[in-house]
Amino acid sequence: MAETLTVHRSGHATVQDLGRPGRARTGLPANGALDEYSARMANVLCGNADSAPLVEITMLDFACEPSADLLVAVTGAPADVTVDGVPHPQWEPLVVRAGQVLAVTGIRQGARAYLAAYGAFDADFLLGSCAPDTILGFGRTVRAGEHLALGGHWPSLVHPVFRHPFFRLRPPRPRFGSPWTIDVTDGPDLAEFGESHAVLFAAEYVVTPRSNHVGLRLRGEVPRRAVRGEVLSRGVPIGAIEVPAGDELLVLHRGRGVTAGYPVLAVVTSASLSSLGQARPGDTVRFRRRTVADAVAAYRGGRAAVREVRRRVRTAFDALDIPSPSCCQRRQP
Amino acid sequence: MTPQTVISDCGDAAVVVRALHADAADRWRMVHVLADLVEQADLDGLYGVVPTYDSLLVEFDADRADHETVRRVLDQALRGIRPGESLLARPRLFVVPVVYGGEYGPDLDLVASQLGITARQVIELHTAAPLTVRCLGAPVGAPMMDGPAFPAPVPRLPSPRVSVPPGSVAVAGRQAVICPMRSPGGWPLLGRTPLRVLDPASDPLTPYRPGDRLRFVPIEPQQWDEHDGALLAATDG
Repeated sequence: MAETLTVHRSGHATVQDLGRPGRARTGLPANGALDEYSARMANVLCGNADSAPLVEITMLDFACEPSADLLVAVTGAPADVTVDGVPHPQWEPLVVRAGQVLAVTGIRQGARAYLAAYGAFDADFLLGSCAPDTILGFGRTVRAGEHLALGGHWPSLVHPVFRHPFFRLRPPRPRFGSPWTIDVTDGPDLAEFGESHAVLFAAEYVVTPRSNHVGLRLRGEVPRRAVRGEVLSRGVPIGAIEVPAGDELLVLHRGRGVTAGYPVLAVVTSASLSSLGQARPGDTVRFRRRTVADAVAAYRGGRAAVREVRRRVRTAFDALDIPSPSCCQRRQP
Repeated sequence: MTPQTVISDCGDAAVVVRALHADAADRWRMVHVLADLVEQADLDGLYGVVPTYDSLLVEFDADRADHETVRRVLDQALRGIRPGESLLARPRLFVVPVVYGGEYGPDLDLVASQLGITARQVIELHTAAPLTVRCLGAPVGAPMMDGPAFPAPVPRLPSPRVSVPPGSVAVAGRQAVICPMRSPGGWPLLGRTPLRVLDPASDPLTPYRPGDRLRFVPIEPQQWDEHDGALLAATDG
């Protein structure tokens, strides 16, 4: 029988992965974890594939209890991570014994924490991903009382090393907290804004409550387009900063519809999208102009850090005789 | 002759190609044929392509691909495109019954007054000829078509609706669309079809492809139940 994680407390949590980015041609949004870096790192700390299903915990407290000893890792925004009330560090693997309660509470300086488990969670898949798609009505909120099936099998992980603080993999942690400095590169329609484009880099923007995984609406001084005329719908990337006629900027995130008809002034860098995925309503955002080469280098730096931590995890697991987790099961609904 | 295009970076993980041909059908054909060629190029790190009316977005994993490589693939593909290359060997026709106006199409009268014609004329123009699906787009799998032969472009709503019901038939600018699932939307709504145009349990999600044609047919509200919940299917196989 499959082992499970019983959820005791959950405000707003979902089972996520890195989404379905290859289907934009059929009009399907990518979706997936809004803080991609933290999600990858949580999985890698448990020995999983980067894209394995994990729990995205948004703002509200979460508590759960595994039916078997379980290696987990919590990353993302700063939070209080405890096992039976005893504090444990974030961004490091830890073992929760069968029947112990793991709690992630007090999420702060960001909106989302990520909980990965050795062997990942067994999830329903749609078109290659378990990421919720709110437009299609796929995926669901994890509720208290629910039993999340743990994918695959694992050996007993009770090892003294996991209870001692010297087991440290030290993945690089991003900076969390408002004001957020978000790097962008020039958008394809920048020229249409003339001198007004400079407003984007001088102004401060406030994240409004109408922000979600589809996009963030930012209040502040809005650059004005110098030319008029209709824009035919065309493909827009995740991170596109659109400038509608009103008094808000629209920054598209992973749930964005693949086409849009507003001019694209700038595009948030892949690295900064993870930070932006942590911004809370009321937080301040400042944009910083970067070259494409700098943006690519920053993103590759993050991915290299994930690979380096994967290497350290493998070394540690090998030393402790822990096999790599068997691949997570995939199931079409 | 090399097709007339402009290639630009679109962030650190995408490149956009815009077609500049004089003819709209040529622009559309070019970006879709180019999209096929990019998909066939076996490019490491390619996420996907989004060809629309006159633009092609190529998205990739910036850790595995880079702009120079993608541009090289695009340049090479562009050289292989022959003018007038057809997109679909056999475009299909879909008939879409629509209840116009009232609660089904709350913006019908607004659009009529903006265009300076009657609501009946809006319906006549919208149903006059099949509309070609140019691409699948937002919110999800929506058939984005050329607009009907209206006398002028249709302005988007000043304030988008929070929730547009599935099957809503909308127009904006020189474009027409059906909204497959309940979602927010800023396009004026002319009517609503009782058919389902998208099935979340099927792959592909939608029965139509770019190049297919949709013909709208007006029905009365009493006829809604005859079609309710059925999946849109081609009338010519």
